Amino acid sequence: MSKKLAMKPSNERASKITLTFTCWTTAILFFLPIAWIIATALKPKNTVLDIPPKILFVPTFQNLIDALTFSNTLDYFINSIIYSSIAVFLAIFVSFLAAYSFSRFKPAGTDFLMFLLLSTRFVPAAAFVIPFFQLFNILQLKDSFLGLILFYAMFSIPFSVWILKGFIDGVSTKFDETGLVYGARRPHIMFKLVLPQVKSGLVAAFVFNIIFVWNEFLFNFQLGGLKTYGIPVGLFTSITKGGQVDWSFVASIGTLYVLPLALVIYFFQRYLLVGLTFGTVRGEV
Amino acid sequence: MKLPAAKFEEAIKDRPAKKKANDRSLSWLLLLPVLAFFALFNVLPTLWMLGLSFYDYTLTSYKPPSFIGLTNYVDFAKNEQIAASVSRTFIFLILAVIAQTLLGILIGVFFWKNDKMPGRRIALTLFFTPMVVTPIATALFWKLMLDPTFGVINYFLTTWGFERTDFLTNSSLAFPTLIVVDTWMWTPFMALMTLAALGSVPKAELEAAAIDRLPIRRLITSVIWPHAKFILMLGILLRSIDAFKTMDLTYIMTNGGPGDTTELIALSLYRFAFKSFKLGYSSAVSVLLLFIAIALTAIYLYILNAKKKAEQTV
Repeated sequence: MSKKLAMKPSNERASKITLTFTCWTTAILFFLPIAWIIATALKPKNTVLDIPPKILFVPTFQNLIDALTFSNTLDYFINSIIYSSIAVFLAIFVSFLAAYSFSRFKPAGTDFLMFLLLSTRFVPAAAFVIPFFQLFNILQLKDSFLGLILFYAMFSIPFSVWILKGFIDGVSTKFDETGLVYGARRPHIMFKLVLPQVKSGLVAAFVFNIIFVWNEFLFNFQLGGLKTYGIPVGLFTSITKGGQVDWSFVASIGTLYVLPLALVIYFFQRYLLVGLTFGTVRGEV
Repeated sequence: MKLPAAKFEEAIKDRPAKKKANDRSLSWLLLLPVLAFFALFNVLPTLWMLGLSFYDYTLTSYKPPSFIGLTNYVDFAKNEQIAASVSRTFIFLILAVIAQTLLGILIGVFFWKNDKMPGRRIALTLFFTPMVVTPIATALFWKLMLDPTFGVINYFLTTWGFERTDFLTNSSLAFPTLIVVDTWMWTPFMALMTLAALGSVPKAELEAAAIDRLPIRRLITSVIWPHAKFILMLGILLRSIDAFKTMDLTYIMTNGGPGDTTELIALSLYRFAFKSFKLGYSSAVSVLLLFIAIALTAIYLYILNAKKKAEQTV
């Protein structure tokens, strides 16, 4: 390959440039609708629906400030952050225990249990809404953080267990055995010897699940209430704020909503891949 | 303190039987929290759903729930609308997944061939964003962009001499439009899986192929495909399962209309439960979906296992 490169440098270079151009164009084309949302948020309110649409305009942050200070928006954001982060932390902690057990002790029925766990995430959410709705009414968990956190923890457990088991399988049992021989206790082995070696698995599970929980709409809408609604519900209800759609407002919330996700992708790009394939693939993107 | 290797092996071998028994109870102790979650938030609701599906239970009728056996199942088996929505869902799934897979592979290969392009990480971030944004947000914005009066898409169409079109209320355009939006959302995912699949091909084999000047077709069929196929299949299957569950998109953009041209099964189910409050009936439909989901999971795991086995034999 390098020989070829040396032989026809200009040709090779031209095709590289075309390729780079194609990649960038594709990326920008895909981002365009999102860019449109952000542009709408930055436009002065009275020009949002102008035809022809304003491509060039003086950006204003007034819409973003208005959206953030509008009655519940900030609460929705805080709610989303509270329930998604606590739920995913909780899920990862219990999943780590379970994954360790599945990986090291292989109790009877391991495969079947793992299968059942995973299958629950493949059922359309709407199928489970009714039983959960009634269950939450009976347990008086409706519109409570406790209820949502427990629900989203369950929501995150299947993928977390799968990802973490993949990683713990990759850590040699020699570490455990050496620890035992030297008289270490299990918690010490699990948290001091094994855990540090599966850090990237923990990050992958966290990133992957937080995106899911952050985006989940249906259950938040049905099981939550005014005290516990998150941003997707905020977005949904904002469509009809004051009877008429206020697109500046919707766009502003949309923008505030997209930014953290874009940052997550930028900084955790390689973990996305690990998460999506349940730890079976650990390569770089 | 350091043990010599031989002594170390011995110490492992001689771990007393009592310790083994301890291990067993410890293994279940560690599983306990997950099992508790699972029992409370999965087994219980599933049994509940199964139970409800044998009852006539409509919230709005003020009648106490009454046991009616399999009537709900018979009813929905006879219901042509449900059959139509299930088959529509599968058509949606097949068309969308094919489009996303082809486009995703193409774009994935571009990015793979160009692993040192300037700003690759930023370009990938822009490209991946559509798939992590909640469908609620994207559906809303596509609705605005497609709007016949204010929409930017219609503006460009009319300036380029096309007719003003209302994509979402036109009965022959609404369904394809949804597929296009879904493809926009999920092509990045298939491209990501393509990158993962190509990344799983050992570098040494690629280099050897380059040295041997293997023709491109042989390179694909005998070097890349054997390694890449598993992850690619995983991607296709994950997408299929997700497409089968599509709900937010249709709920916001078309609400199943015009007529029932975009009515997918997840949305019908939601409507039975929360618009007409037929809890027993919708539970029966849920049970059907549960079985479809379990079947899809089984296929999924079969592919994962096939991958593991292939790796062990290599």
